[in-house]
Amino acid sequence: MKFETILMATCFAFGTLVHADRPDFNDKEAPRTLGDFREIQSALQSHLERARSATICLQMGGGSGSAVIVSKDGLVLTAAHVTSKVDEEIKVIMEDGREFKGRSLGLNSETDSAMLQIEGDGPFPFVEVDLDDTTELGDWVFSLGHSGGFDKARGVNVRVGRLVRTAPTTVQSDCMLIGGDSGGPLFSMAGELIGIHSRVGASREESMHVPIREFQAHWDELKEGKFIGEGGFAQKSKPGSGFLGVVTEESDEVGLKVTEIWEDGVADKAGIKVGDLIIEIEGEKATKELMTNKLAESGAGDKLKLKWKSGAETKEETIKLGERP
Amino acid sequence: MKIITFLLAVSLPLAANSLPSEKRKNGPLVQDALSPVQVSLQESSAVFYSNETSKAFLYGTVVSDDGLIMTKASEIEEVESYYVRVGTKKYRDPVVVARNDIWDVMMIKIDAEGLKPVDFSQARDLAHGTWVVSNGATERRFRRPRAGIISANKREIPGGSPAVLGVGLKEEGGNLLVGEITENSGAAKAGLKEGDKLLKVDGSDIKDRDGLIAYLKDKSPGDKIKLTLTRGEEELTLEVELMARHKLYGQGKTRNDQLSGGEAQQSARRTGFPMVLQHETMLNRNTVGGPVFTLDNQFVGMNIAAVNRVEAFAIPGKELSEIVAELKKSL
Repeated sequence: MKFETILMATCFAFGTLVHADRPDFNDKEAPRTLGDFREIQSALQSHLERARSATICLQMGGGSGSAVIVSKDGLVLTAAHVTSKVDEEIKVIMEDGREFKGRSLGLNSETDSAMLQIEGDGPFPFVEVDLDDTTELGDWVFSLGHSGGFDKARGVNVRVGRLVRTAPTTVQSDCMLIGGDSGGPLFSMAGELIGIHSRVGASREESMHVPIREFQAHWDELKEGKFIGEGGFAQKSKPGSGFLGVVTEESDEVGLKVTEIWEDGVADKAGIKVGDLIIEIEGEKATKELMTNKLAESGAGDKLKLKWKSGAETKEETIKLGERP
Repeated sequence: MKIITFLLAVSLPLAANSLPSEKRKNGPLVQDALSPVQVSLQESSAVFYSNETSKAFLYGTVVSDDGLIMTKASEIEEVESYYVRVGTKKYRDPVVVARNDIWDVMMIKIDAEGLKPVDFSQARDLAHGTWVVSNGATERRFRRPRAGIISANKREIPGGSPAVLGVGLKEEGGNLLVGEITENSGAAKAGLKEGDKLLKVDGSDIKDRDGLIAYLKDKSPGDKIKLTLTRGEEELTLEVELMARHKLYGQGKTRNDQLSGGEAQQSARRTGFPMVLQHETMLNRNTVGGPVFTLDNQFVGMNIAAVNRVEAFAIPGKELSEIVAELKKSL
């Protein structure tokens, strides 16, 4: 217990040292003079250009949300209810209109955090993350996002406010948000990323963000593409809903012989043909029973690694399952 | 395009650490620090009160020392009779003297002298993140300041001509034909029929679809035009009253509009402006029309639309000065 106290005190002192440049206006109850407003403004403006260039619009399945780049090679933080699935292709649009392909990594369905990787040649504009969790209740903050969807003429939409509530897995500000801002970044006046937009209250002045410490708590799992938790922000695909689109029968040769192919199904698209012989499923010897079991536990969007013989050739591919009709 | 919308939040646990409301961005303590700008709002804002309810329903911007006020046309039209306050003084008989429907502005004259109009020469472009101050809620004698920042690029907001016939138009074999007719439109009331072949508008030949649309662009809602057309063998001339686009077609009701409080909060007309500044001051349909100032009391523009939860539009000062000069010529 004593150890814990000392550790915390040390951390605090360290944090204070590192962030000695904490602006005065954050420690005032409220701005007292116009000078205080001007200081907030100049702090915000000094970081705005960089923050805007790293704030991106995500588009998938007819939906649109926001996100922010946190590394020069294109690692992105966003909200779980925006990506909604792991390992899904998502279109990335920069403020200047440039488009890239992105792929969702992991997500936490209980706290609404998610990661995505831009698949393109960097370096990408990115922002610093407040890894030391330096902000406090009442701090001035600013919020960015592609409110209502991408609008090149308008550009990224910026708003200012204060941190008005804090809880372990949520932080609340009075920066106003709207649909399309989901997944966008919340910044401290030091220009560091402190949260990701998640949801709003009935009042315009109630906005909830996922704090960065929540991303840190699951950083590696998110980066590895894990689907975390069983919360309401994203739903796992239903077991049994995955569809490969082949009919097979046990063969005298070792494996499963393909007797029918569903036109335009995922197997067809992967190049599997009638007469081919599936020899391995997920690295194991292919049997009818294994195939049935694997499909029963897989949902649409899940992956299945197959090895098959097509004529003299042997092919191997990880196939993303379609939706069972 | 579907927009990924927020889930309405469940309240945070009561144990959460919370900032008292007076210290929040729009709270009274923050507002108090804006008092040096309050002077400009006090002097150069007009407040419109309904005679029926005695409630303030709109602001105006004072543009001459002898009582010319600019405000939002589509909002003031909704109230039958009203009086005006500038500073602490009440003016009983405001008169509409001119309007511009492209910009959705109305020029109103009150019997006053020695007012302090906004200074158009101060208007300049402001960087994103610059604080601006508008009227928040009002008290009888006191204009409450409310702050926000410039939040996006200055730009045109598309939206089509403000006055519409209420018909679809199709070009077929060199003829311009009436297409689908919108219910309750001026065209429906005048008896236009689908398939009518349009020949002339107000006596001049109609060349094509674009020609007719260009002619309507300079018209105002309520204006009447004469359309000459053939229906079968018959040639007819019908008089059609034009209607406000936002009234006939509405502005759509998206999920974001619902999130923004709908009709009670949003301006009925919020598209179709040749140029706007965007800021994020928390306004609603009853708090637009007034001036916007910088922290240095420099005039920035006039609030013209409470768009949604996060966006407010203002006509930039330079454009407003040109509109005012043009309308003054017509007096």
